[in-house]
Amino acid sequence: MTVNQMSSVADRRPGSTANAGRAGSADRTEPSMTTRRHRAFYMFTAPWIIGFALLTIAPMAYALWLSFTTYDGISPNWHYVGLGNYRELLNDSQTWDSLGRAGLFAVISVPLSIIAGLGLAVLINRPVKARGLFRTLLYLPAVVPPVGAGIAFKNLFDQNAGAANGVLTFFGFDAIGWLADPYARYVLIMTVLWAAGNVMIISLAGLQDVPRELHEAARIDGASAWRSFRSITVPLLSPVLLFQTVTGVIASVQTIMPMLLAPLATTGGLTTIPQSNYTYMIHVFSEYFALGRYGYASALLWVLFVLILIATGLIFKFTSGVVFYNVDPEAKK
Amino acid sequence: MTATSLNPKSPARVRIRANRLVLYTVLVAVTGLFVGPFGWLVLTGLKAPSELAAAPVHWLPAHFHWHNFTDAYRLIDFLGYARNSLIIATVYATLVTLSSAWVGFGFARLTAPGRKTLFGILIGSMMLPQMITLLPTYLIFAKLGMVDTYWPWVLWGLSSAPYLVFLFRQFFAGLPRELEEAAIVDGCGYGGIFWRIFLPQSWPVLSASFVIAFTWTWGDYIAPQLLLSTDRSTLAVAVMSTYVSSAGTPVTNLQAAASVMYVVPILLIFLVAQRGFVAGMSTSGLK
Repeated sequence: MTVNQMSSVADRRPGSTANAGRAGSADRTEPSMTTRRHRAFYMFTAPWIIGFALLTIAPMAYALWLSFTTYDGISPNWHYVGLGNYRELLNDSQTWDSLGRAGLFAVISVPLSIIAGLGLAVLINRPVKARGLFRTLLYLPAVVPPVGAGIAFKNLFDQNAGAANGVLTFFGFDAIGWLADPYARYVLIMTVLWAAGNVMIISLAGLQDVPRELHEAARIDGASAWRSFRSITVPLLSPVLLFQTVTGVIASVQTIMPMLLAPLATTGGLTTIPQSNYTYMIHVFSEYFALGRYGYASALLWVLFVLILIATGLIFKFTSGVVFYNVDPEAKK
Repeated sequence: MTATSLNPKSPARVRIRANRLVLYTVLVAVTGLFVGPFGWLVLTGLKAPSELAAAPVHWLPAHFHWHNFTDAYRLIDFLGYARNSLIIATVYATLVTLSSAWVGFGFARLTAPGRKTLFGILIGSMMLPQMITLLPTYLIFAKLGMVDTYWPWVLWGLSSAPYLVFLFRQFFAGLPRELEEAAIVDGCGYGGIFWRIFLPQSWPVLSASFVIAFTWTWGDYIAPQLLLSTDRSTLAVAVMSTYVSSAGTPVTNLQAAASVMYVVPILLIFLVAQRGFVAGMSTSGLK
């Protein structure tokens, strides 16, 4: 039934455009060509504009309103508290601790992913046999959904049955409780690094765009491989790397799956997350769903949102002199 | 075989050989590290529960317990959850591909006052943290009674996805202008131009977009966990939370087997659609 309704919505759209076109041409005034194009533009972009307003702007505005209240979804006499929630979160050490952990996680995992992905790309860009096979195998983990990746790493780092402790004990070391403090944070970072194939694929496309003559000229001038990598490859890839940094930071702040996995797969509940993985987003989640403090949690969300905007702005500002665009970014590749 | 042409003992030859050996060793070792976690998941799914508790680690199962896979399939309503995942992912991917193509066409081939600003917002919105908007969206959907229905995915699908819009815009912007000029002279509206001329040209992008959106939805855990009750939920949620014995302890080997069965369809789809998928990834990454 839902499918029928959907297809009828899809069918209706081209029809409505055709009507608009007919209305335009029926006008006595002839230069309706531009008006027609304008009207058509808004007709085509309407799904996104309306969707963005209703499913992004409206929820964010709703959260902003809630952040000034004590709303919890249950009690009927919730009320406006002004900046009360914000005052409370500023004075809560949990806010700062979890924010610090999220920041640390981003500062470590994002550069590591980029270095690993770039390294893989450079490695596989050399003339090797079966390059396609290697590329596919290195990229596949990035396609594995978070739930699959989380369960795979939970089993890999299991205290008894995990391969990681198997290797350690094989070499005569003691087994480690990887999924608890303080080691859980390393497992978290390794789970993220497993998807470095994403950066690899994107960097690889960039690497193949680097003109071969540049490297040849550098070699004739006596530049070492490292020097030519640093002075030619990295600057030409810098827009790609900047994009990866920005999206990487935004993604890492929102990461929640790998932290949830270890506890959910054992006893369940947000309280059993190892302290070192209790990041800001997890804090927001537990305020939302464990405690049902929608108002307070919304204030936490808005603080994070503003911080992400500031961080993105700062990244762009500090890299503006470093990133090298050899083409107009608006032009088609 | 190359040894005959040049003296195999010449220093240059030896160095090239050594370099190549190092290159392949590193490549194979790194690839092993990346394949390893998944291989271990498969092995875990083939072991007996007693082997998972034993120390030191049993590297290989004593017997390959293939029946773990059928047990994992029977212990929960695996097929039912898979069907829910399939329905949600197909509905969303179909709708979002069509709506994103539609919006992408607008940004690529049409113009109006405010187009630049709107496009800037579109690109900027790709960087919006989705997790942040999801939580208040959940509260709104709950208010509207859309929790435990598939309507949220229909609405998300209809409203297009910035990432995919961008993909389609790039593709449509590269098609020759004559394509629509002839049609306009013939009195064809823009809707007709899109539907009859541009859409049939864009099969590679359409399929890439469908595959990308399908894998997003199949892999998503948080949205179905928040919006759907246990029965109507997806495979991702079921694999995460339902493999628990009556005593409340997790059935690790069955969960591992189930997650292999959950992941493999996505890997297969990726392998089949690899070209378009990777091309889409790189196009969007270059910006």
